[in-house]
Amino acid sequence: MIVIGEKINGAVPKTGVAIANRDAEYIKELVRMQETAGVSYLDVCASTDADIEYEALCWLIDTVQEVNTIPLCVDSPDPEIILKVFPRVKEPGLINSISLEGNKCELLFPLLRDNPEWKAVALCSGGDVGVSYTAEQKAELAFKIIERAAEYGVTEDRLFLDLLIFDASTRNDTAIEFCKAIRMIKERYPNTIITGALSNVSFTLPVKKALNMAFLTLAMDAGLDSFIGDTTNRDLKALMLATNILIGKDKHCRKYTNAYRKGEIGPIKKD
Amino acid sequence: MVDLKKLTEAMGDLEEDIVVEIIDQVMEEGGGEAQAAVDACSEGMNIVGDRFADGEYFVSDLIYAGEIMTDAVQTLSSALGGDSKGGSSEKILLATVKDDLHDIGKNIVKSFFEAAGFEVVDLGIDVPHEKIVNTAKEQGIKIIALTGVLTLALDSMKACVEAFTAAGMRDDVKILIGGNPVSAEACEAMKADAWAHSPADSVNICKGWAGM
Repeated sequence: MIVIGEKINGAVPKTGVAIANRDAEYIKELVRMQETAGVSYLDVCASTDADIEYEALCWLIDTVQEVNTIPLCVDSPDPEIILKVFPRVKEPGLINSISLEGNKCELLFPLLRDNPEWKAVALCSGGDVGVSYTAEQKAELAFKIIERAAEYGVTEDRLFLDLLIFDASTRNDTAIEFCKAIRMIKERYPNTIITGALSNVSFTLPVKKALNMAFLTLAMDAGLDSFIGDTTNRDLKALMLATNILIGKDKHCRKYTNAYRKGEIGPIKKD
Repeated sequence: MVDLKKLTEAMGDLEEDIVVEIIDQVMEEGGGEAQAAVDACSEGMNIVGDRFADGEYFVSDLIYAGEIMTDAVQTLSSALGGDSKGGSSEKILLATVKDDLHDIGKNIVKSFFEAAGFEVVDLGIDVPHEKIVNTAKEQGIKIIALTGVLTLALDSMKACVEAFTAAGMRDDVKILIGGNPVSAEACEAMKADAWAHSPADSVNICKGWAGM
């Protein structure tokens, strides 16, 4: 499971304050914490007002790059900003995100074409559909964006397709449609990477952890490859590893028992 | 020359890639160290057994260890000679007793016996007493290892011990009982020779009997 760590995002209230105050130590601690928890990419998103976003994102990227050992996921809703900050990023990572909205494809696919070690999160939104709620809409947008990528020589195994997870409180069928879409897309493009922002599912509901974990189990069974979320939560990590056993992706339970032996899951051991 | 100490450690740590690499190296170098490599792996299996007994390893680790060991011996087999395990090596007759169908524990302990250098005659599951007694008689096997998971298995183990007595062979064989329901009390009551819950104990007991 490829986890994109979500904590370095100005939309998280404490991170937002740290960005506003240019509190580098706080940001660096978020890097260390997420790396220890085993995430694969560090999302970096300023989430500020548009007029100060470039400056904030530059500071954030520079600060993270003082300590990180894993790649960044450069996150902005504005493709122009992604293009502007791109040269600052030292190691290849992820662009977050491309979609069929506006001129994102025209601006960002050439960047991917010219930087073959980079990959990108591709949102299933835009085009004629707008926001994709049903499995059919998600698959339609996924196929369109994969075809657009191919026009630039970008293969589908470089796309993290974000199939959009909605809050279960207003859309009870979000997991059903999401999982159905995974199967539809994987049938045609088995090598594409499926992802989603996990905590969306529990938005406005209590006991968020239970919902996030239930969603993850179902989606992993359907073929989820990645999620944007928080694995500093030990229970989520344990659930992820347990599910891997049950869907036949952890022979002899090695990853699970090794994580236990390392103290990464289960009760915190007293020395 | 291969690093046999590293091989033992890799086996104990269940580092399959390293075990395979060293075993392949033994064969590339002509197989002269094949027997030494098997012995090094066996020593590694002892570490696995100890870690299981300590609660550090789990049943899934034992199964994995058995697979690594079996694959290693398979790779080395041509250099060990076709019948290296037959003939001189001590035999153990292993069976899940009558009315019990569980074979996971039996298969795990089998891989540990083999790693320790025993030749295992595995009669499978739900094995009638007569078959166990007759096989021991025909093949002259002195060590009998009976396993089971159900409490019901204790009755079958007891009946099996009695079958050896009735056949006049009780003093010729050593009987080890293993599996979840066995205990010192059960062993005493059915007059078996020893009992074990872990593969490491099973191996040590049988090694003692075989004078190994």
